[in-house]
Amino acid sequence: MSKWLVSALAVTALMSGCASVQRGAIPVVDAGAPVSDDERVASRGSNAPVARQPQAIAQDSGVVVMVPGGAASSAPIQSFPASSGPIVGSVSAQPSSNVMGAPVTAPGYPSVAPMAPSGIPGGALAADEQLDGPVLALLTTAQQQQGGGDLNGASSSLERAQRIAPREPQVLYRLAEVRLAQGDAAQAEQLARRGLTYASGRPSLQAGLWGLIAQARERQGDPAGAAEARQQAGGR
Amino acid sequence: MTRSRSPRSRNKRRASAPHPLLGWVVKLGLVGLVVLAGFAIYLDAVVQEKFSGKRWTVPAKVYARPLELFVGQKLTKTDFLTELDALGYRRESAASGPGAAAVAGNDVQLHTRGFQFYEGTEPARRINVRFSGAYVAGLSQGAGGNLAVARLEPLLVGGLYPAHHEDRILLKLDQVPPYLVETLVAIEDREFFKHYGVSLKSIARAFWINATAGQLRQGGSTLTQQLVKNFYLTNERSLSRKATEAMMALLLELHYDKNEILEAYLNEVFLGQDGQRAVHGFGLASQYLFSQPLAELKLHQVALMVGMVKGPSYYNPRRFPERALERRNLVLDVLAEQGVVPAEQVAAAKLKPLGVTQRGSLADSSFPGFLDLVKRQLREDYREEDLTEEGLRIFTSFDPILQLKAEAALAETLKRLTAGRGKGIDQVEAAMLVTSPESGEVQALIGSRQPRFAGFNRALDALRPIGSLIKPAVYLAALERPSQYTLTSWLSDTAFSVKGQDGQVWKPQNYDRQAHGNVFLYQALANSYNLSTAKLGLALGVPTVLKTLERLGVSREFPAYPSMLLGAGSLTPLEVAGMYQTLANGGFNTPLRGIRSVLTAEGEPLKRYPFQIQQRFDPGAIYLVQNAMQRVMREGTGRSVYSQLPASLNLAGKTGTSNDSRDSWFAGFSQDLLTVVWLGRDDNGKTPLTGATGALQVWTGFMRKADPLPLDMPLPDNVSMVWIDPRTGEGSDASCPQARQMPYIRGSEPAPGSACGAPAPAAEVMDWVRGWLN
Repeated sequence: MSKWLVSALAVTALMSGCASVQRGAIPVVDAGAPVSDDERVASRGSNAPVARQPQAIAQDSGVVVMVPGGAASSAPIQSFPASSGPIVGSVSAQPSSNVMGAPVTAPGYPSVAPMAPSGIPGGALAADEQLDGPVLALLTTAQQQQGGGDLNGASSSLERAQRIAPREPQVLYRLAEVRLAQGDAAQAEQLARRGLTYASGRPSLQAGLWGLIAQARERQGDPAGAAEARQQAGGR
Repeated sequence: MTRSRSPRSRNKRRASAPHPLLGWVVKLGLVGLVVLAGFAIYLDAVVQEKFSGKRWTVPAKVYARPLELFVGQKLTKTDFLTELDALGYRRESAASGPGAAAVAGNDVQLHTRGFQFYEGTEPARRINVRFSGAYVAGLSQGAGGNLAVARLEPLLVGGLYPAHHEDRILLKLDQVPPYLVETLVAIEDREFFKHYGVSLKSIARAFWINATAGQLRQGGSTLTQQLVKNFYLTNERSLSRKATEAMMALLLELHYDKNEILEAYLNEVFLGQDGQRAVHGFGLASQYLFSQPLAELKLHQVALMVGMVKGPSYYNPRRFPERALERRNLVLDVLAEQGVVPAEQVAAAKLKPLGVTQRGSLADSSFPGFLDLVKRQLREDYREEDLTEEGLRIFTSFDPILQLKAEAALAETLKRLTAGRGKGIDQVEAAMLVTSPESGEVQALIGSRQPRFAGFNRALDALRPIGSLIKPAVYLAALERPSQYTLTSWLSDTAFSVKGQDGQVWKPQNYDRQAHGNVFLYQALANSYNLSTAKLGLALGVPTVLKTLERLGVSREFPAYPSMLLGAGSLTPLEVAGMYQTLANGGFNTPLRGIRSVLTAEGEPLKRYPFQIQQRFDPGAIYLVQNAMQRVMREGTGRSVYSQLPASLNLAGKTGTSNDSRDSWFAGFSQDLLTVVWLGRDDNGKTPLTGATGALQVWTGFMRKADPLPLDMPLPDNVSMVWIDPRTGEGSDASCPQARQMPYIRGSEPAPGSACGAPAPAAEVMDWVRGWLN
């Protein structure tokens, strides 16, 4: 196999690894390089992604988490759109415009419009909507990945969170959001609907989920259904 | 070298000796030389082509789910230590480095190895886990900072091997443990770093030793020659092969440096046979023998492996431990003699046991049932060569702890049944599936009553009549019509017969051959009454029930015969799990998955198998069916579970028995586990088992070991709990002694009852339903 072909294939493999991979894509492996021992991280150089552990997790701050770092990850984590009420927790030194919950969108992906303007009633999050350690950490990771344009990675981290807390509607909310960003509006709607079944007695979260459903239905060419969902969102 | 130098010397000789006879010799010599040069050029091409290209194909590696650690996680210390043992963690008094763990009371300190996952790298780090009861109570890292979540590296559970079954874990020279290279050189080829591929000194020494001993004792092969032999040549022993080998060794040394040759040797060398699988290279051998990554090995382990190079079968430490120990200590002595390792260290190493794990813990025969599922899902997306050659890393949802519990429950139950029921059980085969209802992930799979032997995978391929397992579909179809049916609708359980389209008369019977008169809808399901169920199904229409089955996730098509209502149709255990998953997951269907993601050999993300759901039913209707299925366990055909499980554990499920007890089924779920069990004979013969006396017993045994979370579906908005009189189904006051709560879809509940004693007014809805039924 000639060299240019090898490198072309390697580049293809790399790109297909980064981009969303199509079903049935054939794995191509650079033939020249032996694989490292097993999968040990210590031996791995360039593949190691940036540190994923959130450096500072605002404990007991409800769903809003500050993730210090680059511009891409400077937005607070919000597992569902913040209402216009006060944000729980410390949100220092960051532009206040971010606090309003504009989701970070990656270049090249359809942006997810913030859903706050749909008339969600104000009010801080109830105590029971605060997330605990592992889920919060994974949502933070997912937010960083989404901010860096790695929607597949974000999706993967959120599914990890879902395995830890399968009945946490905020995880389903974020997963629906990422699916929407990935262009899978049908799954976004389904995940939001699943979230609703766990969001009983949490009106602002319900409103957020209905807002997502409205967007997803719009993307699927169902304006009537979207209007209906928006009405549900407004009614909470 | 060979090509350029020799012709020049011959040319000189020809010039100095112009004899006519010599001319022919020279000419012949020239021809021979041209042939030799041509052969050398050919060999050179062979050497370079194979060595510079992809040297080895590596089978795809299949990993179990990584064990997640976080505060509040349900995990016992025992299960955790089982996982650590499977991963080859060394027990030490204080975790000294990656792959070590120290246990002190309820605290486990460990140093994880780190791993490359699809969504990122898990660093190798020191963590402390504190257990309290069946839960993780504390998680901190290093010096003591709290840790939100961490995961262990996943257990390697198998590979996808090509026809020749050659397996290896490729490694680089900088990943080898101390003393490996030194020991290898000291034992196999002392002159390695000095010679040019062949060593005259070694040959002379071998010749001397063989001559004095009078037999072939020692080969003079260098490491390079050994590599050439294994890499390029066959096992044939002849002089011409030996010459070719020497030439190729020289050529290899000409083109590549010592380190490259050494690295290739470390990966190529054959170190054992594991069933059908050939274990190549020190990387895999380390996993195979010690369940540890090569870099973590200590001197005594290194010495054992290097000693095995001489004869991997002869010195197999599992089969011939004494022989292997002797060889290892001999290797250690040589190291001391040559001054490679200080004598005290050698003495200490010689005191150590062999340290090999019981069996090759990553043997591909370990979990053949689950691997079969993985292979089938992968073959939909990849070519066979990609799976067997590209070293892909397949991340699955397989949970080895649950698998071991499922296997133990099956074995124990079969043993008990054999003791209690005698011969009929011997020929009974088994299949079992454990999934997570919320994610649709398959966590454990058994395809045979001997789960470690590959063969007919009944969990995927046994297509058997499901019997009463179909009934939840019938009742779900009914409960989706709240204006017609509630859990307390009256059904008539009386004998009847219908004429089918083919002219045959269908006359169903109850298992106990009795009719039960008027029963509540939920009672008919809980007790698995056939007559009332068949009547209900006929009233709904067979196509309606089959449509419900399809919406539950069953893609198989069935003819709309009345007998379908009692489960004459056949499904595989996997399909049953898919159907019950929708019931367990609030009416949301999820395709069952065994694979999470695929990485390339280099750790690059390649493919994900994302979580996908689709709402197929109103959560209210599902809530009612789940309620009835809980009554199966509390008061119906599944009630024997509570003789073994605590009453606080809410469970839902359904028994299934086909005609003449040919199939014994149970499918049921807790909040976090969905389990399907099938027992039956491969020849479809009769068994002494019903769903309750066979499959349910295995199911119960597993659930007891797995200690699941109680089922607790959130009350849907359109469902309300209403106090009723359990005898009449009419509304009752909460204060009445007999009153119990029953869920209803809003609008279908009976009118509220008056205080106790007074006759309750007949509810209009109930009248309506009764009128409709009669």
